[in-house]
Amino acid sequence: MGMKLGEKVAVESLELELKAPTELKLAGTLSTPTAQAEFRRLLQDLHSDIVAARTASFAVDVQALSFVNSSAIRAFVDWISRAAHAGYTLAFKTSASVTWHRLSFSVLKSLAPATVEIVESRPSVAGGGHPS
Amino acid sequence: MRKGAEAERTLKLARKHAALEDAQRFAALAVTYCTPECREAVTLAVCELGENLIKYSGNQDELHAGTIGVSCDGDSVRVRAINQVTSVEDAQRVRELVEKITRSGVAVRDLYRARLQQLFDNPNAPRTQLGLLRMAFEGGFRLSCSFDHSELQIVAERTCAGAS
Repeated sequence: MGMKLGEKVAVESLELELKAPTELKLAGTLSTPTAQAEFRRLLQDLHSDIVAARTASFAVDVQALSFVNSSAIRAFVDWISRAAHAGYTLAFKTSASVTWHRLSFSVLKSLAPATVEIVESRPSVAGGGHPS
Repeated sequence: MRKGAEAERTLKLARKHAALEDAQRFAALAVTYCTPECREAVTLAVCELGENLIKYSGNQDELHAGTIGVSCDGDSVRVRAINQVTSVEDAQRVRELVEKITRSGVAVRDLYRARLQQLFDNPNAPRTQLGLLRMAFEGGFRLSCSFDHSELQIVAERTCAGAS
């Protein structure tokens, strides 16, 4: 059994929330081995739920996920691979102001272009720009 | 604003559960005056190097896995990791990867993508081996490596406008 709708799961400094049956929100940071292992387990359960529900597209909001280590990048690679084999798409909502979102998600998309969609949000600029 | 070289701040990384969280806090404190982009890059480097120290360095019975240092000099910031090596093969592999990254220049994205592709094609690969590639690709660091008398040192440097 995976995550429950609306339930927030905290794994050390990482927070996961199933916002809708087809949307997961991730926030915080992920750097410890304990958090990595739990994160991988939760993603595997979620994948099983997505396949069982025959969901065609699943959204993953990572805008508030400020830092992850390489093991988390690998967890995303594994999830994309499983999604590609199962035939559903993953739409990652990223933030243009976070370097690792901007750089790594474009590479992740290149692994399986038909499976991964990137929806990048840009920070709004108040006051019309930088002072000279 | 500060000018000139600053003494290196060091962290002896303990072999304990919260070591990587300690490393993350250490990185944040070491570069509080740098740009957000540079702070993000230094946090990445300290955490990736710290994780490698915990996983692969020295005798697992030793209290500390190695030392991480962060220093600023003018408009550049440097992160350094030093540890005792138990596997010469591992150290050699690290040195070869650093040389490969250094030679790749701006094509480091291609190296990073190639490694992700390997992991995509082979989910059971025992080691992730993305840390140094991310430091170069995402963090914009120039990497160098030396290996003498069973001590491995990895140095990562990048420019930071906020450090000068």
